[in-house]
Amino acid sequence: MSRLLAALGALAAVTVPLWIASPYHLHVLIMAGIFIVLASSLNLLLGYAGQLSLGHAAFFGIGAYTSALLALRLEWSFWAGLVCGTAAAAVAGWAIGRLALKVRGAYFVLVTISFAGVISLVSVNWMELTNGPLGLPGVPAPEVLGWPLRSKAAYYYLVLGGVAVAVLVCRRLVRSRIGRAFVALRENEALAESVGIDAVHYLVVAAVSSAALAGMAGSLYAHYTRLVSPEVFLFSYTVTMVIMVVAGGKGTLSGPVVGAVLFTVLPEALREVVAWQWQMVLYGVLLVALVFFLPRGIVPALASRRRRRAPALETPPVTVAARPAEAARPDAFATAATAPPAAAAAATPKRSAAERAESAAGQAAPAAGRLVVRDLGVRFGGVEALSGVSFEVRPDSVTSLIGPNGAGKTTAFNAITGYLRPSRGDVLWEGRPITRLRPSEIARRGVVRTFQKTSVFPGLSVLDNVRVGLHLRGRAGWAATLAGRRRVREEEQALAAEAGEIIAFAGLAGRRDEPAGALPYGEQRLVELAVALAARPRVLLLDEPAAGMTTAEKAAASALIRRIRDRGVTVLVVEHDMRLVMGISDTVIVLNGGRVIAEGPPAAIQAHPEVIRAYLGAGAAGPPASAPVGGTGPARS
Amino acid sequence: MEQLLQHLVNGLVLGGTYALLGIGLTLIFGLMNVVNFAHGELYTLGAYAAFTALAVAQVDFFVAVAAALVIGAAAGATVERVLLRPLHGESIDTTMLVMIGVSIAAQNALLLGFGGVAKSIPHPFPTAPLVLGPVSIAPLRLVVLAAAAVLIAGSYLVIHRTRLGQAMRATFQDPDTAQLMGVRIHRVHTATFAFGAALAAAAGALLGPVFLVYPSMGDLAALRAFSVVILGGLGNLPGATLGGLILGIAEELGAGYVSSGYRDAAGFLIIIAVLLLRPSGLFARAERIG
Repeated sequence: MSRLLAALGALAAVTVPLWIASPYHLHVLIMAGIFIVLASSLNLLLGYAGQLSLGHAAFFGIGAYTSALLALRLEWSFWAGLVCGTAAAAVAGWAIGRLALKVRGAYFVLVTISFAGVISLVSVNWMELTNGPLGLPGVPAPEVLGWPLRSKAAYYYLVLGGVAVAVLVCRRLVRSRIGRAFVALRENEALAESVGIDAVHYLVVAAVSSAALAGMAGSLYAHYTRLVSPEVFLFSYTVTMVIMVVAGGKGTLSGPVVGAVLFTVLPEALREVVAWQWQMVLYGVLLVALVFFLPRGIVPALASRRRRRAPALETPPVTVAARPAEAARPDAFATAATAPPAAAAAATPKRSAAERAESAAGQAAPAAGRLVVRDLGVRFGGVEALSGVSFEVRPDSVTSLIGPNGAGKTTAFNAITGYLRPSRGDVLWEGRPITRLRPSEIARRGVVRTFQKTSVFPGLSVLDNVRVGLHLRGRAGWAATLAGRRRVREEEQALAAEAGEIIAFAGLAGRRDEPAGALPYGEQRLVELAVALAARPRVLLLDEPAAGMTTAEKAAASALIRRIRDRGVTVLVVEHDMRLVMGISDTVIVLNGGRVIAEGPPAAIQAHPEVIRAYLGAGAAGPPASAPVGGTGPARS
Repeated sequence: MEQLLQHLVNGLVLGGTYALLGIGLTLIFGLMNVVNFAHGELYTLGAYAAFTALAVAQVDFFVAVAAALVIGAAAGATVERVLLRPLHGESIDTTMLVMIGVSIAAQNALLLGFGGVAKSIPHPFPTAPLVLGPVSIAPLRLVVLAAAAVLIAGSYLVIHRTRLGQAMRATFQDPDTAQLMGVRIHRVHTATFAFGAALAAAAGALLGPVFLVYPSMGDLAALRAFSVVILGGLGNLPGATLGGLILGIAEELGAGYVSSGYRDAAGFLIIIAVLLLRPSGLFARAERIG
């Protein structure tokens, strides 16, 4: 259906000059084309990476001015100007993207507005370069093989080519692992970092590609209107782009196209009926009304009317068939626990023979697979949450970190995985310090965590959640992705297949295409685990994996954790449920008041007098027989 | 040196009203997590209210400022009640889009209502400047500075000495707990938005007679307000006050010593520099994470 629509649309777009003769109508269409490029470029940042840029007109203006200046001062050709305009905007986008390193959300919006404001002031005041408020008249028309494109029809085809390039670039980016990284950052930045997605890097990539496309649109605009003035920086341009993206549907490929056409043609159509000021009032009211009545935009609204399904990312065909028996079972954990070992072995992240040999020879190479925490201290203002914690996690073991609330367990996790900067001490992974690294870099080295609060990418399907988890398994860079290389496509298929296997292993095959945010609590925790497993951990840090689970679910969870360990993944668990802890752990470490108070095998810990005092208070007499030390541990939110 | 003093005094006059803008915005931003893109239009509304009161109804200057305060508060309360309350709990991006819509609609409605020609507001104060040694200052500017000081002091009193202020501070720190303690946070939100809007309108009414009044005057005012908030840190009242004064003086110095064409760049550069170097604002103390 949508394919047919797209084909019809393309046919109509190509044949337009044959059945529309009016230069005015063609002019409107040319402007629509330029706005399609602009809206699509903004959509990369706003719709996919989730960062609103209200300075987008600056990139547009930089492209326009660069192109016009090169043509007027140096008599460069349109094509050279187009390339340079795009490049100049990309450089500006890179600079702005680096700012995203520090600020997000509303602050990012303000940085982009300010950036556009400064650029606009420069364009007005730098008379020698820009000719100030009067602008640069007489930008030449582009030439193709010596023929100047003076007619509207000819320019229409040039812009159509630009639109095709922009849509293709967006499409390839969005459907690649790069696009998934954008969306992952939008949906849940902390989780994205935990599977190795470098937030700064990908936000910069989003900003650069977005700015470059806007610069290209600027260049097309400059050679079309033949006049570039500071007007190109007008805030209303940016607002128009935002309305186009939001109205059409942010985070969809066709949304900005629909929005751009609609909001170029509509104001022109209204022009005769309504005064310009009324139109702007209407624009404002429309933006408010859109947020209230059509928050996801026209395209998604139409799509969900046609088929009520999860808004999944584009999915290549998955070749692995999910076992139907598993798919049908509702109690997912039990499924995973009862899956035949052979199937499980095939499905778990496989490790190379060399790696396995290495961990088997752990004694010979003391650093291999060994996580050492040395004298770790974390301060929050005057409060010392961790004061000199040291412990060691042996390869291929299950180690539990327990302690009363406020003992510093989650703080320790945060400090180990780079979410908190410790005030002193070191974390060594295989003999090398990882203390000052970013979470994504730590994940890259094989140390992967889950979160205490259930943490998934709520808007993505289960399949896409796991595909994001597989981020580090992909190799395709942006150049290969944009070029649409075959190996990129092959890699995508391999990753999708692998995601299918991991989903089956976690017992979620029946939920593959449902949005993770819509699953019941227990299954969301499974998705979380699947995402972490997809990142191929060598050490997996689980923060209260069984919190809030029923007894049966907990038993299944223990089995699953043990099987993860048996696949050669070292596991470090924070957990309150003592039955579970004592059942799965090779070693138990007890934290209290930011210090390690005991360490040893489960039996020894249960009898340890200081542990009992920490949990039950100083007055508690004698160790409780086999009862859970801390009760069943209330689930913390 | 004489010039410097003159610039400082001029900057102080501007800075006082910028502080009013900033205090309103920082309260709304800090308390409701709403980026009020219509703040500039509330400022413009205040200026037109003063214009109508002084040029058309010909009331007393201070009555006109009071009228602007009331109209601003009413407009703010209406916007909050009608548009923001139904979106309570939505993401900051959603409310931001709504406020951008309000800003565009309001600015163009003002354009339709009052026309695009810049208007000057008549005022009753003598035009001959008072000369104090090396510094000369128009009496009107002195009145503006004094009125801004009174309004800033009034804001401090409301926030630190009244029940409403207590509820506002509680909501700022932790809306959930405040609600559990019986604070009706919806009302606090409406009151906060009205309060911030009233201050913005007052700033417009005060600066309107100093400069000219035109429908898009709010664009730069909003940006100034944002840079003041960013300078001072989110929800930080003394920060916003100081930030306003710093911005006013920075603009005057920039216009005086660099180039008057780049006067408006001060605000932009402050935003960029502060966010780059010290994102939590100049006056923020280190906070406990998590």
